[in-house]
Parts: sequence; C-alpha cells; structure tokens
Amino acid sequence: MGTFNLVKWFKEYGWRHLVGIVFVLFAIYPILFVITNSFADFANLANSKLIPDNFTLKHYKKLSGDSLVPYFRWLYNTYKVAIVASIFNVLLGTLAAYAFSRLQFKGRRASLLTLVIVQMFPAFLAFVAIYLLFFQISDILPFMGLGTHLGLILVYLGGSIGFNSWLIKGFMDTISPSLDEAAKVDGASDFQIFTKVIAPLARPILVVIFVITFIGIYSDYILAAIFLKDKNLWTVAVGINTVFVDDFNADWGVIAASSVLAAAPIATLFIFFQKQITGGLTAGSVKG
Amino acid sequence: MKFSSILRYSFLAIFNAGSIYLIPLIVTFESWFLLTVLVFVTFLINFTYLTDKFAALKWITPGIIFMFSFVVFPAAYNTYVSFTNWSTGHILTKSQAIDLLEARTYTPDDQKGVEFDIYIFENNTDEYYFAADLAQDQLLFGKAVTQDEIDKASYATHEPSLKSESGEIVTPDGLKLLAGKDQINKANKLQELSLVIDSSTRAQLYKISVFGSSTGRLLSTSQRYTYESEYDSLIDNSTSEVCSSDGDNFVCNTESVDPGWRIFVGSENYKKLFSNQRIRGPLELVTKWTFQFATLTVLLAFTVGLLLSITLNKEKLKFKRIYRALYILPYAIPAFVSVLVWKGLLNPDYGVINNWLDPLYTFFDIEPIKWLKTKESARAAVLLVNTWLGFPYMFLITTGALQSIPKELTEAAKVDGASGVQSFWRITFPLLMVSISPLLIGSFAFNFNNFTLIFLLSGGGPPVIGSEVAVGWTDILISFSYRLAISGGRGNLFGLASSVTIIIFGIVLLISAISFRYTKRLERIYGNI
Repeated sequence: MGTFNLVKWFKEYGWRHLVGIVFVLFAIYPILFVITNSFADFANLANSKLIPDNFTLKHYKKLSGDSLVPYFRWLYNTYKVAIVASIFNVLLGTLAAYAFSRLQFKGRRASLLTLVIVQMFPAFLAFVAIYLLFFQISDILPFMGLGTHLGLILVYLGGSIGFNSWLIKGFMDTISPSLDEAAKVDGASDFQIFTKVIAPLARPILVVIFVITFIGIYSDYILAAIFLKDKNLWTVAVGINTVFVDDFNADWGVIAASSVLAAAPIATLFIFFQKQITGGLTAGSVKG
Repeated sequence: MKFSSILRYSFLAIFNAGSIYLIPLIVTFESWFLLTVLVFVTFLINFTYLTDKFAALKWITPGIIFMFSFVVFPAAYNTYVSFTNWSTGHILTKSQAIDLLEARTYTPDDQKGVEFDIYIFENNTDEYYFAADLAQDQLLFGKAVTQDEIDKASYATHEPSLKSESGEIVTPDGLKLLAGKDQINKANKLQELSLVIDSSTRAQLYKISVFGSSTGRLLSTSQRYTYESEYDSLIDNSTSEVCSSDGDNFVCNTESVDPGWRIFVGSENYKKLFSNQRIRGPLELVTKWTFQFATLTVLLAFTVGLLLSITLNKEKLKFKRIYRALYILPYAIPAFVSVLVWKGLLNPDYGVINNWLDPLYTFFDIEPIKWLKTKESARAAVLLVNTWLGFPYMFLITTGALQSIPKELTEAAKVDGASGVQSFWRITFPLLMVSISPLLIGSFAFNFNNFTLIFLLSGGGPPVIGSEVAVGWTDILISFSYRLAISGGRGNLFGLASSVTIIIFGIVLLISAISFRYTKRLERIYGNI
C-alpha cells in the first residue's frame, strides 16, 4: 500500500520536486557561492569552497582601503549618474506622456508610432557616433564632453520618451478624465491639472519607471565604458570588470565582496518591485 | 507681464545667448554635425516656447530634444561616418591636419654646431636656470624648461650683471651654481631642458666639463612643412620636396605623411566588408555566430523556463512559492556582476566547475576543458551563462501564459480521449506561443546585441588566428564593431566599425518588421479561436 502511494506520489508530485530542486541548485549555486566566499577566510580561488571554514570581513575591509581600487568611489559615481539620469528620465517621460494622454493635437498618433520605431534601436548601436560626437563636444564644452558624468547622463536621457512615455501614458489613460474636467471647471490650467491631479495619481507607475530606469542605467556597461576613461570617474560596472581581469585566483575574495556590494541593493530592489517590473518588461523595454 | 512669462522669456534669452556664443566656436572646430544639432535644438526650443500656438509641443519638446540629440542624430551621424575613412591617422579635418603639419619644425644643417659656454643654476625647488654666454652683449639668462613647456616659456633675456668685471660668473640671489660634478649627477634631467631664446631658437646643454665651464649648443628650428593651396600640396622645407595630396594624405617620395585627414569615401567601407577576403571572412563568421548565439540562447532559456513552469503548474504542489522566488534570483542580479562571478566559476585552473568535472576527466582520461580559451568551450560557456541569466524571464512569462489558458480547453480534450502529451502539444503549446512569441522575438533582438555578456565573459575571444582585424570566436556583431572602433589594438577604425553597426541596424529593422507582421498574424489566429 505504502509503495503504491509513493509511486503515485512520485508520478504526481515527486518528479516535479526533483526537477524543481535541480534547477534551484542551478539558479542559486553561483549566488550562494559568491556570498559565502565574500566572507570566507581563504586567500584565493584555487582553495575556495561553498562553505568556508572561517568567516571574516577582510575582503570588505580591503575594498575600502585600496587606493588602486577606489571601489566606493565607483559605487558613488554609479548611484549619482543613475539617480540623476533616472529622475530626469521620469520627468521628461511624464511630461510627454501627459500630452499624449490628455491633449488633442495633430500628429499625435504619428508621433507615438515614431517613438516606438525609434525605441526599437538600442541607443548604444550608434556608439561610434556617440563617441565621436562627444569627442568633438570635449573641444567646445569640456564639462560635458567625453570622460564626464554629465555627458554620460545626457546620453542616458536620449531614451527618456520612448517606452517610458508609453507605459506612463497607458497608466494616465486609466485615470478618469472627469477628474481633470472638474479641475478645468474650477479654472485650473493644463500645468495645474498636471501637477495637482494627474501626476500625483500616476505616482505608482512613476515609481516603477524610476526603478526600471535606475536598474537599467546601473547595469549599463557599454556606454559607461566608452565614456569614462578616468579611474576615479568609472561606474562600478566598468570598474570591477576592468580591474579584476588578470588575476582571478589572487583577487577572488575581493571580487566576491565587490560583486555582493554591487548586486545586493539592485537585487533587493528588483525582488521588491518584481511584479511591476516584469509587467513593464513584457510590455516592451528590456532589462540587460 | 505675468511671472511665468518673465521666467519663460529670460530662459529663452539665456538659452539663445548660449547658442549664439557656441556657434562660432563650433565653426572653428569644423564640427558640422554638432552645429546641425545645436541649430535644430535652438530652433525647436524657440518654436515651442516663443508662441502659445503649440500647447502639446511644450510638453514633448524636452524629451524630443534628448531623443533627437542622442539617439536619432547619432544614428544619422553613424551612417555618415560609415561612408568616411575616419580612423587612426585620419581623425582630423584637412585644415586641422595642415595646421598641425605646418607647426612641425626641424633643425637646418647650417644651424647645427654653434657652441658657447653655458652655466647652470639650481634653486631650492628643483628648478634650473641657464646662462648662455653667446657673445659680449649676449649673456642670455632664463629658466630652463622641458620640451612640453617650450610653447609657454618666456624668452631668455640679456643679463650683463651676471658677469663681474674680471669675467667671473656671478650667481644671482636664491640660486646655486652647479659645479661640473653635480651636472654629471643630474645629466639625464639637464639634457631634457632648454633655454628658449626666440620662437625658433633654443640653447641646450651639450657637453659637461668637470673643470671649467660646460659647453652649450644652439638649436635653431625652422618650419618643416609649408602648405601651397594653389597646388594642394605640401613643401617639405628640409628636403625641398613637393608632397602632393593623394586624397587623404600628403605623400612625400611615396611615403605618406602622418596625420592624414578624414574624407568621404563613398561605399569603400562596405566594399571592404563584402569583398576584401580578409575582412569578409571574419564578418561572415561573426554574423553566423551572432544568429546562432541569439537563436540558441533563446531556445535554451525558453526550454528551461517552459519546463519549469510546466513542472510547477500543478495544484496543491508544495513549496511552489519558494521555487518561484528562487528561480527569479539570477534575473535580479545585474548582468555585469553575474558574468564576473561566472568567470570565476569557469576559471580553467582554479574554478569550481573544473573541480567538479575532475573525476570525469580522470575517469575518461581526458584533458581538463580550458574554459573560454578554446572555440568550443568559449561558445558553450557563453551559452551556459546566458541560459542562467535568461531562464528566469522565460519562466516568468511562460508561467503567466500557462495560467491564462482556460482549463476547460484541456479538460475538454481529456474528455475526448487525448493524452496529457497530446493535449499539451495540440492545445496548450500553440496557445502559449500566441502570447509568448512576440516576447521571444524581443528576447532574440536583445540577445542579438548582448554586448555585456559577450564582452565581459569572453571578450569575444579566443582570437581567430590570422585575420586582418581583431576578431574572436565568440564575437557577435556589436562586440566585433566595438573592437574595430575602440579596443581592437589596431587603431580606431571608426569608419569600418560604423558600417558594421549599419548592418546591425538593418537586421534589427528586419526583425522588428517580422515581429510586427507575425504578431498581427497570431492575433488573427487567436481571434478565431
């Protein structure tokens, strides 16, 4: 009787757990490995193992004290660029979305379609032109040329009215027009309707767009790598992938610690907003 | 006037003033494309905010400006660059190149060899001063400078006070006269320095003498090249040769003078890509692998994701939520971090993966795999890591799609006598594909340009031996182009690199067009059910 049940259980559920657990190991092994190794008291990759014998914070301490690897400087740069760029991204995207959602004008459909078509081509495809353009800007306006954070932020703003506007517009369309009509009756201008009625109501989507944009910029490698040549201005993506290339064996502990510090906040943010982000992703934009 | 209007017009005034200030600057640097961008932006801003006619534009213009400046214009500029010879040695415009060449100098033979006594002084901050005793009324004194500082240095002055009546040299206050012995100790540094006499003449230390005064030498330089616009050629004043232009370089006696300048070369880059066998070979290889990589990676991630979502799509299955939560983790981590970690795991000498495989290697008596160092292992590694990165997304979307398929359909099939497998392939899978396939195409397009993964994991390598341009076995088109333009180690081939990105543009356009049509077709099918 018991055997029969076990076979039946396996046919119904057991194999599912088997497959499930195999892929859980596949999914989380590298993550667990890097987390434990970042606290592990061994010197290199060669003698690393999943569960270390002793735990230590030495790799994290090393990160903060090495002038050749200004890791926290890179983190600061990354947050600075990503936060500023995301704020303006959302701002510009929201302004455009308001017009598309609430104002009637000639060429509205055509402009929306243009946005979609333009957005299909990732901005970094034209990296040669971006590089050469900013190379020339460096001669004329050095503060926003190649090698500056401002220049990089400007490039990131290029995509601010693509899918972002689409998603925000979609959300604004669901806000009942009777609300702004009521405000209009009370004598509110477009600007007042936007700041007092629509934008506050659209806040949930704005937060999501901000998070998606922030994660995207935080994770960008190619544009940051083209732009930033000075070690002290690098973002963390450029920094850790430039410095730790030669000697993985010796650097392993520090690599693990820097990976954990770079990934943990983003992973937390992602998991927290997972439902909304994947909803947004399936609607169009893609995460790198 | 209302406050908001004052604000608006002051903003416009400041902005336009800035534009007007910039225009001549841009013209001097001959950045015509930048000029176009600036004029467009200025025009658009004035057009939008000067009148109240276009209410909608006021909201959209800020975003449009950035989109045009940093997405649309670069795309157009990219196309233009692909028709030029823009590359190392051909970076400048013609007039910039001529200016640079005309600034070059040389030392004519008859100016070599004038010798004189030279005295060297040091102050207490490691700076040096030379006194060159050229003639009775020419005792020239000044700070000695290095090659880099020559343009900014002031000319030496005649200082008769440095010599006493008896002909002895007088050391100025705050300085110390360097004896011959000290000069020898610092010879390396002193020989780098020169005293600037006028725009073309300098005095340098030539021979150090331990007894008596050291000898200096005059170095007089003349303009090396003169440009003759009438004949569009360069005169080499050192040899009196006429160097005519071959289009993008001046050629002196069959030798090109560096730098040349950038010119429009028509379809030259494309011809090179398609007919020069030593570039066409790599391009074909890279294009093929780009398609293989994007297809396989979508297929693998989709298979794993679908398998998992089917496995977990069972009522009353325990721990379902825990499984789901854990499967999402690889997706939550920025790719640039995951790739770095995988590089450690895959390390052929010390990595965990070869550690695990070690018993197998021993058992079958085979060489350990040199991950990322050979063509096959690098390609396998790239696919493995990308499957890890990509299956959570596939798992999420297939789970969503499976849940949205009405249960009645599969139950009806069961009643009609279909087996589980049959009803999956005949009913569930086709319905699933309707909602999933646009996303699969999107994923294909994304991976087609997955630069971060390829460039950070394998760097495109291992290198293909014997090709004219830097190319590796895992290079995809975008990383190939990046290496041509930025980091190939053979100069910056901007023109060629942008023609490769134009090919990518074309393919992306094609994929998008297919995706549009395909989605429409699927919607029709779906609508008929």
